[in-house]
Amino acid sequence: MNMLNLTVHAMLALPLVVLAANNLLAKQTARKIALYVCAAVAFFQIASSVTLFVMYTRYGITHYDFNIFDPGQVSADYFSVNRLDLFLMVCIGIVVFVSVMLALETIKDHKRSYVNLLMCLLLGMNGMVMATDLFSLYVFLEIVGITSFVMIAMFRSKVGLEGSFKYLVVSSLGIVLLLSGLALIFMQTGTLDFKAIGESLLDTQDSSRRALTYSAVVLMISGFAVKAGAVPFHSWLPDAHQSADTAVSVLLSGIVIKIAGIYGLIVVLDLFGSLEAVRIIYQVIGLVSTITGAVLAARQHHFKRIAAYSSVSQMGYIILALSSGTTLGVVGAAAHIFSHAIFKSTLFSNAAAIHEEVGVLDVTKLGGLEKKMPITAFSSVIAFLSTAGVPPFCGFWSKLLIVIALWKSGDTVWAGAALAASIFTAVYFLRLQRKVFFGKLADGMQDVREAKNSIGFIEAALTAVTVGAGLLFPFALQYLQTAGII
Amino acid sequence: MNMEFAFLLAGVLLILAGCFCLIRTYHLLKIIIGMELSMKAVTLLFVIAGRINGNMELSQAFIITIIVIEVVITLVASGVALDLYKKYGNLDVRNLRNLRG
Repeated sequence: MNMLNLTVHAMLALPLVVLAANNLLAKQTARKIALYVCAAVAFFQIASSVTLFVMYTRYGITHYDFNIFDPGQVSADYFSVNRLDLFLMVCIGIVVFVSVMLALETIKDHKRSYVNLLMCLLLGMNGMVMATDLFSLYVFLEIVGITSFVMIAMFRSKVGLEGSFKYLVVSSLGIVLLLSGLALIFMQTGTLDFKAIGESLLDTQDSSRRALTYSAVVLMISGFAVKAGAVPFHSWLPDAHQSADTAVSVLLSGIVIKIAGIYGLIVVLDLFGSLEAVRIIYQVIGLVSTITGAVLAARQHHFKRIAAYSSVSQMGYIILALSSGTTLGVVGAAAHIFSHAIFKSTLFSNAAAIHEEVGVLDVTKLGGLEKKMPITAFSSVIAFLSTAGVPPFCGFWSKLLIVIALWKSGDTVWAGAALAASIFTAVYFLRLQRKVFFGKLADGMQDVREAKNSIGFIEAALTAVTVGAGLLFPFALQYLQTAGII
Repeated sequence: MNMEFAFLLAGVLLILAGCFCLIRTYHLLKIIIGMELSMKAVTLLFVIAGRINGNMELSQAFIITIIVIEVVITLVASGVALDLYKKYGNLDVRNLRNLRG
């Protein structure tokens, strides 16, 4: 068990080692092998997180506290890993792996910078889920944020710089909100440790202190909602996702908004879940995001922009799941984070394939690609069915969990609304599929071919995961039940 | 009015001043300055928080961290603004209208 726990240390240390090695190696060598090393790091993270999750369940370990400098010493813990964190790290590993696979084909120059930034991003995200106080959470959040700004602007296209600048400004405002909230909490407690905050803030009857707590909670939720791209803070998200290179957009849409935004909201729920106001805010933000994102997605013409607005809508679902405030709700949210990571990665891989082979991503100019790109079309249809919540794909099960969690916690109205909002998802993706893959072949696309090596591979692999996870989901639920989680 | 309250008021006013600057101007560098102003103002809130609860060490550590991170953000923002200047020849934020819908 001790040996296995060392892999948790490795998840923080490996990105740094790869980062250093990437810059120390000769340029030609680094360009050749760095991306494969990144893929190996991501694979290591997936494998060891899954193993640790199973081991923790078997031996009844709830969490492992550690300190990065002296492994094994328990006196000063800065980091902690529990099973939710491990599950999120599996998702991080998967999306990073997909991004590397896309980068092998789409990124021709700046490979070294891409690897550097990717490793920083991985470090930031792993650190965020492992952090045990709001101070480190903020520091890792900023690592994730700053790396994303640079990654969007990295290729110096007009649109890339524009998307990056918009993201930067909106996100700094979010950080200002978040920090003001942290200051208000810190003012009352004198500490930023998760354990100490929850106990000391909520048992007071003094009305002015309660007012301070409430404003701190609202400020923190707004700060994280900016990062999650929830309505009404979503304006940066489609711009940033559309303008970045596809290997970067898949990271942003697949995992960054979830770790930087949703994980923060999970932490707020953990700390202040007993306040009724938190749940009400989550319900409102969640439902409004779900519907607004879906309606706006139906009006777009750019493939990646539709996928980005779909992310807004799906983030709404996850926040709705959190609003139930129960363990089942958090499990549903985590399951939806997983299935969203899978199907949104698939859709962005499709975008990469179309961008590489056809060159345009405007859906009005595309058409009839089904015959020319069968793998892309098939995986896209599967991903769409999973998004819309059609059984037996894994999107169906996670949405089902969310609806059940809302129903069980007494929010029947919200559960019904979540079901109804599912229909909107079908609308915008049906439109996308019809325009891109079916119908008459568009002009000048006679000699379009199927996606090349790694993009085609990752599309097929992700489709297999969508179908496989969907079919095995009942067993996963059974496993969680015997493990005593739900 | 005691000193804590004055500091708190100053902090909030400075944050609002930064946000006002963001709304008011069309110049990229002025936007960055406004952004910086409001982010620096947050450190004032931490100063006052540390004074009220008596945990000045953590507060100082946090403030220094915030300042360092803000420098990095300003650097990235200025770099993006510089590249935008090279593309468009001026620093008007109204150029940024390629992404719509």
